[in-house]
Formats: sequence, structure tokens, C-alpha cells
Amino acid sequence: MAGGYRGYKYFEAIEKHAGLLGILTAIMVSIGGLAEITPIFMAAHEVKPALGVKPYDALRLAGKDIYVREGCYLCHSQMIRALRAETERYGPFSTAEESVYDRPHQWGSKRTGPDLARVGGKYSDEWQRQHLRDPRSVVPESNMPSYPWLAQALVDGDDIAARMRTLRFLGDPYTDADIAGAKAAVSGQTELDAVVAYLQGLGIANEPANAKPQQAAP
Amino acid sequence: MSPFWSGWIMFLIVLNLGITLFLFLWGPRVKIPTLPDGTTGHVWAHGVLREGMNRLPLWWIVMSGAMFVIGFTYLYLYPGFGSSKGSLGWTSHQQLADDIAANRAKLDPVLTGFAGKPVDVLAADSTATRMGERLFVDNCAACHGREAHGNRVIGAPNLVDATWIYGGDGDTLLTSILDGRHGVMPPFSSSLDKAAIENLANYVLSLSGRDHSPAKARLGADNFAVCAACHGPTGTGNPALGAPNLTTADELYGRDLATIEQTIRNGRSGVMPAWRTRLTDTDARLIAAWVYARSHANAAH
Repeated sequence: MAGGYRGYKYFEAIEKHAGLLGILTAIMVSIGGLAEITPIFMAAHEVKPALGVKPYDALRLAGKDIYVREGCYLCHSQMIRALRAETERYGPFSTAEESVYDRPHQWGSKRTGPDLARVGGKYSDEWQRQHLRDPRSVVPESNMPSYPWLAQALVDGDDIAARMRTLRFLGDPYTDADIAGAKAAVSGQTELDAVVAYLQGLGIANEPANAKPQQAAP
Repeated sequence: MSPFWSGWIMFLIVLNLGITLFLFLWGPRVKIPTLPDGTTGHVWAHGVLREGMNRLPLWWIVMSGAMFVIGFTYLYLYPGFGSSKGSLGWTSHQQLADDIAANRAKLDPVLTGFAGKPVDVLAADSTATRMGERLFVDNCAACHGREAHGNRVIGAPNLVDATWIYGGDGDTLLTSILDGRHGVMPPFSSSLDKAAIENLANYVLSLSGRDHSPAKARLGADNFAVCAACHGPTGTGNPALGAPNLTTADELYGRDLATIEQTIRNGRSGVMPAWRTRLTDTDARLIAAWVYARSHANAAH
């Protein structure tokens, strides 16, 4: 074989061995992920909660888990990006230290409905209840499904206490008193109460100082 | 970013761009052994399919080359190569601040003219009310409706009729928007039995001249004394407490017998959130101006 063909034999070896081709392809494809994901993944445990961000109390924790169960994240994000159109509509942009107690985080990747990162306090409790029971009774053009069953089911206090113990094992600073009081805190509360409590706490008093928008006009 | 992770990212970028750039430069030049018929000798399906040799198309080479140029230029100008900040010093936060400043430069000349002006004055300015309507639709319509007709399901008042719970003058509107409202009616199910509630509800209906049973209303009249503390002895309401006027046709939750019975039995808790943290003072004035203009236009009819 002539000299010019020498380098080509490696090419040929890769082409003719599907296993080798697969391994080398996987290596090349994973480079992007290794560069973008690994450093942030490894640094994630160093993110400290923002001032005022506390672990969810029993009722809000129940609400968060129902939010996940019902798949709210499929239509609602909880991440306001650092873009003017978003900060004007939703408030200061979101930061990682606001989500330290969200397991899993609810940033989402798609919005059919609006972002909910700072929806807490925007509407009254009664509005939230009515909107979950029958969205079109308050927003006629809404295409959100109704969640009437939330008002029928009670929150399971033992289950919430167990979830809090698990979260404490993972590092969330729940005290023994928090866990012991969980059952009493959610006693008699419906899933609707829990979701409303969760929604009304979103973005409350946890805006990082550097994300405050410049006050518009006097 | 720690030096280790910065180095990690740099290593991977160099590896990736190095391999692909090598293949890009070397691939079109390498001599590939061919058979006399011009094929590589790779065959499939017992020789039916054979692999020919063609030069890479020029468009492919040009576009791939352009991608390398764009990639290297990007890494030079913008953050991306490890902890390098890029020669432009671009950050998303600075971009946001610039965008806000650019928008402010357009808005401020208009808004400063409105700042601090009384609501009734702004209500006569069509630019102010147009901006107010836009802000109302974005922020207030979820409860009060697109046309500000209110929503009885949650007790959100109609804002374009002539009746007001707390008052419809400019300052009161502004206070309602910025500080919110919480109207509370206590439940009476423990102090009044079913018949007493029905009688009282009939009496309340009689106050606004609606269909009611006069006999039951007469029986309910005595119990109205307890309602009078907030709604006044004649049921005309008390704006200071947010107790609605019961003698008008205005409806907060509805004025049928069943709704009024329910209100007396379970009480009501109507919350309007405070908007001070979400709206600027001028935004609130513009919204108030639109509401003021709408309700006064209706009152004039």
C-alpha cells in the first residue's frame, strides 16, 4: 500500500467496526454535555439558599408534591429569565439559590400558561381556589384543565412527615419539631388548600438583592 | 468557576474543536485507495451496491469552514472558553440592564408627565387612559374581567358601574390598588338558625326592592340590627369598612335568595391583593385613571 494510504487505514478500521464506531461517536457526542453539565452539576451542592428562602412548611410541601403529581410543570415554568420581556411581566429574574429546596426543581422548559416563579400574592386565595376548580370561571379564554378533585381529597399527614424526614436526610434543615408538627399542620386540609398555600408562597420574600428591577418611572 | 473546572471545559473544547478541525482539513486531502473502476471496494448485497468516491461538495466545505470561523469568533468575543469572559465583557445581566434602560428612555418622557398627577386629571387624558387600560388588562382583568365588569364567583366588584364599596374617587382608587383591600363579613350560622337566615335574607332582598316574601322579610327585620353595625341601620353600607350598600342593584356575589343566605351563613372574605410591589405609583395612577374614566362615563349615561 502506498504511503498516502497509511493514515486512511485508521479511518477504514473505524468504518468497518461498528462497536468501535459507536464508542468513538459516543465520546464525541458527550463532549458538549461533559463541558456544559458536569461543572454546574458538581458545583450545585455549593449553592446556598437565598436570604429568606426556607424549606417548605408541611402544607406547602404537600402542595408542591401535588403540583408535581398533577404535572403543572408541563405547562408552567418557574424560572424568570434575565430578559426584559420576562422581568417586566413576572418580576425579578430567578436565581439558583431560590430553588435549593425544590426537589426536583420546577424550572420547566415550556410555557403554555404563565411562569409561576413569583405568582405568590398576585391573586387572592379565593381566586386561586376558583381558578383551580374551574379556570374559565375567572379567565374566560383560559385553556387550563379543571382540577375539581383537589377539593375532595385530604392531605395525608403521616405521608408528609415521612417526606420531610427524607428531605432532612438529603440535607434540608427541618427540625424535629417541624416533622413532629407536620401531621397537625395539614390535618383537615384538602389538596386544594395545599396547592393554594404552595402557590401563594412562590417567590415571596426570596428575591435576591441583585435581581431587583430598577424602579420604573417615579 | 474554579481553575479545575475552567481547565476541564477548555480541555474539552480544544479536544472537540481539535479533532473536528483536523478531520475538516485532512478529510478532503487524504488519499483513499480505490479500485480501477473508481470504487472503494466496499460492497453490500453481494456486489449489487458498491461505494463510489466523490469529492466533498464545495458548499459543504464552505459551510463547515464558516462554522469553525463562527465558533472561534464566538469563543473570542463571548464568555464560553472556560472562565474567559470574552473580549466584549458581555453578561446577560448587563444586557438586561441595557434593555431596561433603552426602554425607559422611550417611556420616561411620557410617564414623567403623569407622575403624581391626580387620578381625575389623568382620566381626561386619552394617552393616560390607553396606557391604563393596557395595564388593567395585564394585571387586573384576571379578577375584574377584561371589561372591568367584575366576577361574582369570587366577589370581584364591577368597577364600571356607579356603585362603590370603598369609594370611587381618585385617591381611594389609588389606595385600593396599591394597598389592596380585605372585606370580611363574619359567618352567622352559629347565631342564627336556618329559618332566621332565610327571613333575614328576604329582608335584605326587600332593601333593594327585589323579589322577596314580605312576611318573611318582616320577621327578618328584627335580626337586621346585628347587620346594621356594618351595613348601617338602613342598609346603605359603610365605605370605611368596605360594607356594601344593600339598597342598590349592584351585585358583589349575587343578589338571589340562595346566595344571600349563603353569605349570611358562611360569611365572606374578599381579598384584593396589594399591588405596591408589582406596580409603580404611576402605573397605579394610570390604571385608576382608566377605571375612573370608565365608571364616570357610565354614570353620566
